[in-house]
Amino acid sequence: MITAEIMGAWLVVLLTLCIFSFLYKDNPFYKAAEHLYVGVSAGYVAVISFWQQIQPNLFGRLWPKLEDTGEVSVLKSVWYSVYEILNFISTGFGTLERSIFPEGGIKGYDEIRLMYLIPFILGIFMLLRLVPKLGWLARWAIAYIVGMAAGLRFYGFLNSDILMQIQSVAIDFTADWGSIINAIILFIGTMTGLIYFFYSTEHKGVVGRLSRIGIYFLMIKFGASFGFAVMGRISLLIGRMNQLKDYSAAEYNYATPIILVFIIISLAIWSFMDGGNKNESTA
Amino acid sequence: MEAIKKIFILLGSLDRRIIFLIVGLSVLIPLLKPDWVNLPIRPTPESQIVFDEINKLKEGDKILLSFEYGPSTKPEIHPMAIAILKHLYAKNIQVYGFALWPDGNFMSTEAFSEVSDDYDKIYGIDYVNLGYKPGQEAVIKGIASDIRTLYTVDLQGTPINDIPMMKDVINIEDFDFVFSLSAGFPGTKEWVQYACDPKNIPLSTGCTSIQVTDIMPYVENNQIRGILAGMPGAAEYESLVERELREMGKPGKPGEASGMMAAQSIAHVVIVLFIIFGNISYYITRKKIRKG
Repeated sequence: MITAEIMGAWLVVLLTLCIFSFLYKDNPFYKAAEHLYVGVSAGYVAVISFWQQIQPNLFGRLWPKLEDTGEVSVLKSVWYSVYEILNFISTGFGTLERSIFPEGGIKGYDEIRLMYLIPFILGIFMLLRLVPKLGWLARWAIAYIVGMAAGLRFYGFLNSDILMQIQSVAIDFTADWGSIINAIILFIGTMTGLIYFFYSTEHKGVVGRLSRIGIYFLMIKFGASFGFAVMGRISLLIGRMNQLKDYSAAEYNYATPIILVFIIISLAIWSFMDGGNKNESTA
Repeated sequence: MEAIKKIFILLGSLDRRIIFLIVGLSVLIPLLKPDWVNLPIRPTPESQIVFDEINKLKEGDKILLSFEYGPSTKPEIHPMAIAILKHLYAKNIQVYGFALWPDGNFMSTEAFSEVSDDYDKIYGIDYVNLGYKPGQEAVIKGIASDIRTLYTVDLQGTPINDIPMMKDVINIEDFDFVFSLSAGFPGTKEWVQYACDPKNIPLSTGCTSIQVTDIMPYVENNQIRGILAGMPGAAEYESLVERELREMGKPGKPGEASGMMAAQSIAHVVIVLFIIFGNISYYITRKKIRKG
């Protein structure tokens, strides 16, 4: 019997082998899987961002479900009529069921927070980039994001990456010999590495020699990074291979060998035809 | 001698597809025949620190477990998540799952469902999965100041005020430990910068191999307590947890990463050999060209 699990396994194997087929050369299988991956990822992120953040945290704060006290002020009635208009638009002018804007407001918060109109308006400005005449309004939203991110990151970097890392370069001479030697190497590496990136003086004489030592430290770092990168990529390959091995079993209707043979034959035919096309074009 | 030189030159001009095939086989064969290669797994000091730090936690302590990885990096990070959860559950520590990546939701759900039942853990009392919120480092900032500004409901849609274990949790200062399962940005670095350093909360990490050299300075400076480095880190932690569980009388299934380490080691040997052969071939060819 074909279950959802078996279908999932076949899909996993097909897409994995489509991506692996790039190792032979660029081909339609790879392109199809790549486009599917990009599309699904973008769609998933958009949907989840809307339902996890915009709907509960933005709309939920602007139009919360209020306690039913019987009395509703005129201003609140007007405000919630905007909510109903948004609902009318989002339901395709009343043709679909309510989902984004539930009856009476969104559960979660107990009071209206009009402050959140600012991010709401900035969000709309961001989307106006799609309208050529009003695209300039998107700059306001971008300016806010850049300013906020710069301010936020500045503090984090200053504290954790600059101040605390400078502290760690200090040599503790009361520690054991091993730690002192380690700290000295770290100190030399940090200083010479910084000198290498100091461009206000020509790298000649003492500065040149120190920057040369800095290069060696940088090379060791790059070597270590390369080694770890290879290790990471091999781990991912092992993960894929392991799954392909699991799905080659009889309980998955031999998904891996069947799809592998299918892709190899298809690639051979495609390669043959593509070669023919090339010959025709060169002729 | 000439024959050896010719072999090296031939190796240097090998079609890249043959190299891919050999690397693929070096991974596949140990996976198919794990008994052929049996290499011991010895924990590095960094993995041991992570284990010791978590082992120090007491029953009822709260840990924030952040899922910052997706299916693409699952083979490296997921075994760590499973081993960490086993360790935490065995010690009766309350686990609070967060996700900084959208696909972290899948990973956290899978990890919790894989381990929680084996240890009879109840959702909302022993563990909770709060899920993903967009905003990258702003989410970490939010968790550091007030979780409720971002999270009104958990991943299942239950209001967090109705979840028993969320009662006394306001911000990151209510947690005893933070563990970041990280595959990139936002991840471990951001936890250091925006939450754990400013609020002085102990943090450990399990990250992808590619991140290790960037994270190491924080580990050296004790801003992060140990590091599980990629798949080998996961295998080392699995072996430590397995031993601990055996001592506690709660033996479980062997970890996934340990079973994959043979493939990893063989593949590394093959790649190192190719690098050596490639360099020798390069020098021989260059010498030949210079000679004319």
